[in-house]
Amino acid sequence: MAQEAHGAIYDLLAVRGVSRRDFLKYCSYVAAMLGLSEAAAPQIAAAVEAGARGKLKPALWLNGGSCSGCTESMAQVDSPDVATVVLELLSVNYFETIMAAAGDHAEKAMDDTIEAGGYLLIYEGAVMTGEDGNTLLINGKKGKDILQKAAEKADAILAVGACAVDGGWVYAHPNPAGGIGVQSYLDTVKVATPVVNLPCCPTSPEWIVAMVVQWLLVAEDDPATFLAKTELKTRTYKDSVTGNNVTLNYPAYIVGSTIHDNCPRRGHFENGEFVTEFGSEEEAKGYCLYKMGCKGPQTYTQCPITRWNRSVSWCVNSGAPCIGCGSLNWVDNNAPFFKRLSSMQLGGGVGNVQPGTVGAIVGGVAAAGLLAHGLGMKAAGRIGDGPPMETAKAYDRKKMAKKGGDK
Amino acid sequence: MAENVIIDPVTRIEGHLRVECEVEDNKVTNAWVSGALYRGMETVLLDRSPEDAFYVSQRICGVCPISHSHASSQATENALGITIPQGGRLVRNLLECAQFLHSHILWFYHLTALDYVNPVNALSADIADTYALAQAAGTRVADFGAVAARLAAFVENGQFSIFSGHTGWWGVGDRKHPGYVLPPELDLIATAHYLEALEIQAVANEIVAIIAGKFSHPMTSVPGGTAFVPTVEKLDDILFRFVRVKEFIDTALIPDTLAVGAALAGLPAEANPLKYGGGVGNFISWGVFEDASLVPEDRHLPRGFARGLSLEGVSPDDVTEDVLHSWYSSATGKNPKEGETKVKFTKYDTADKYSYGKAVRCKGESTESGPLARMVVAYLAEKSGHAIGKLADEGIRTPATLIDFTLDTLDIPVTDLLSLLGRVAARNLEAAYVADLALKYVGELVEALKGGDAKFWQAAEKDSGDGVGAWEAPRGSVAHWIGVKNGKIDHYQVVAPTTWDIAPRDDEGTLGPMEQALMGAPVADAERPLELLRIAHSFDP
Repeated sequence: MAQEAHGAIYDLLAVRGVSRRDFLKYCSYVAAMLGLSEAAAPQIAAAVEAGARGKLKPALWLNGGSCSGCTESMAQVDSPDVATVVLELLSVNYFETIMAAAGDHAEKAMDDTIEAGGYLLIYEGAVMTGEDGNTLLINGKKGKDILQKAAEKADAILAVGACAVDGGWVYAHPNPAGGIGVQSYLDTVKVATPVVNLPCCPTSPEWIVAMVVQWLLVAEDDPATFLAKTELKTRTYKDSVTGNNVTLNYPAYIVGSTIHDNCPRRGHFENGEFVTEFGSEEEAKGYCLYKMGCKGPQTYTQCPITRWNRSVSWCVNSGAPCIGCGSLNWVDNNAPFFKRLSSMQLGGGVGNVQPGTVGAIVGGVAAAGLLAHGLGMKAAGRIGDGPPMETAKAYDRKKMAKKGGDK
Repeated sequence: MAENVIIDPVTRIEGHLRVECEVEDNKVTNAWVSGALYRGMETVLLDRSPEDAFYVSQRICGVCPISHSHASSQATENALGITIPQGGRLVRNLLECAQFLHSHILWFYHLTALDYVNPVNALSADIADTYALAQAAGTRVADFGAVAARLAAFVENGQFSIFSGHTGWWGVGDRKHPGYVLPPELDLIATAHYLEALEIQAVANEIVAIIAGKFSHPMTSVPGGTAFVPTVEKLDDILFRFVRVKEFIDTALIPDTLAVGAALAGLPAEANPLKYGGGVGNFISWGVFEDASLVPEDRHLPRGFARGLSLEGVSPDDVTEDVLHSWYSSATGKNPKEGETKVKFTKYDTADKYSYGKAVRCKGESTESGPLARMVVAYLAEKSGHAIGKLADEGIRTPATLIDFTLDTLDIPVTDLLSLLGRVAARNLEAAYVADLALKYVGELVEALKGGDAKFWQAAEKDSGDGVGAWEAPRGSVAHWIGVKNGKIDHYQVVAPTTWDIAPRDDEGTLGPMEQALMGAPVADAERPLELLRIAHSFDP
């Protein structure tokens, strides 16, 4: 029986044209995302196969104030496919959007899982606190109370997508619905279960699978070490709804560099080749979208590497400037989306600079090389002809004054 | 004696929904449908740039964000006097096609199929008979033996994952629910297609990603047209995916619909889904898939309002929203261009306020929206000479052709469309039409690119004005109303697709469309109210 089931995952992958070799390649990709060396690939493959071999680890997927976009995103996962993830990698005992049972039968499946403990909790959507928590009701219970109960006995929590991270658009000013992030809410009710945040609107299904695998790898030994064994980066913000100072944990690999750093259009940025109008010839040539308001330079996610929808494309690739949905409080901090950044934050101690100088700074290494060859960027017409400097705009000043600048 | 039957949460939908019914002698005698989530989108949009509404307002729904984004951009274009170029029109149509196909396939196989299909029953299927049945039904074969083995291993493992808590609904032996009437072989075919459809819905969404960066939440249909500039290579990537999705629709979705339909249509009246689940019989379609004329009535699923089988015109000005039974304190009975959304929760009380949904009405009537509404409007329009009839000359299966074919095959009158089964069938027939349209649009775009003068985006000429964008999402009619003053939004209201169908009672006490569809429905087993779940799912809320 075990052997048959073990074979089933490969039969299934084979039907989709995925060989064992491809599968291991995928596992090394997951390894990279987890910040592990490629040597960890067989270990990851073993964790994925373990599901097919015996007892599945349980999981609950709860929807708060969500649009189900992250569920939809999950349905677009590359490999293993979504059926494998929810049927043979985990036992997802509650998942409102796709589960068979409804009503009391569905609630019982959740209650039984919570009772038994030792599960992974995946939370999608904002935690609704407006109208005293009555902005989300499920069978007469407040959504926030359901989260608290499920969080207390979970091994670990994945907060998936911008809304679960910090409230996302539902947190945007001046919304009375009171949508906040999972970590902020759990801080308020003093639940200490570890939370890992996965950014963007929606989040990437590949990131979810990577973290599920990470949890499966550590869960056998000691679930409490989940955070310690995951390479993390943190971000902090002050939640204006709860007043909490919140520290968020993210997987380092996913938020380690900016979109701009990994953007395939980056070369055009340094060449000073920009799209200045939608639908133009410059867009057909794949020029840089910075002048259209692209937030790639200040947004720390892996989008250009992971890409979306089984890697066929991503926002910038289709001609859309990044709106920075992977950053904190993304609507308030990034709108108006078509306005060019008034300042850019660059890593490496460069600090805040005005955009006009950015091309020169980020191209510094290349520029040194060019100078060494006696060309010089000035001579090439690439310094001084970059995008004009912009001072902080009225909208930004007003916004910063209002929100106290929680960027 | 009457008893209350409650389904909360209604699962396999987007969002949070409660259905409460009073049941007497195995029939529904009263019904209340409650939308249980308020997120405050309209408030968030105020004082921002109109383009920002395109990006943010689509986040109302992660399943139909493309339609919301199109309604939002159209509202801004309407307010700021922008006429989108033909290239932009075609790209948007293609994007909308991809989302419709994704959504309809996902809905049938992954959201509603489990109301009809019993995978546990599929375990007793004879594999040879399954192949024979597939051939007889003209539906797609799969490795049925492998699917059965995978299913057996799954069931034997005893961890039911997303099927947890539902095995009791299907039941075995004496507990078998009488509503699951399909033979095990058809259950196995549908289970195989459930798995294959997971792949196909993702293929449809790859088209979305190519054009709009990603799904969910597309990035390119900005006010003015589109930011996506197609190339021959990109269109090639799009075309072969549409062909693959269309093939699945023709060889699985349509034959499966007819096979399941035939099995159910023959049931005795008290259990026959052609005899219950109909509802209000008023239908709205704002129209979708823009024609070259850019006139809503010319859309390839045209704009119109039907009272039963009688067609008339409709405008966004015909909409009103009552809030007497909704958790809002704003004025009742307003058209959204002057309406407001001020949240005020009191308590859940079916005699008073019981939903975050507003009671949206068209011409004062409780009105159904969605594929059945669109197909009825298109059917009536085509029968009275609408230009979509001529699409048949291009090899496209038009709405009237598809509906007449289905009525003939199942041997039922056109009036039976207004039923649970009619609503299910209409959605899948629409998918067949949309798949044909998609190939037409790709062809037109290829021609446009050859000409070398295709335009995709047009700038605004003013920064103030009022506008409305009324369009269709896979699940129903969507409209966004915007007011822009000096480049900033000073008014924004949305009537989302599901708002129409899950509407509560209006100020006069008239029930919403889903509530009316529930009235009179049979309930064979009050502990497992399968019929009610089917009705709720048929609206794809």
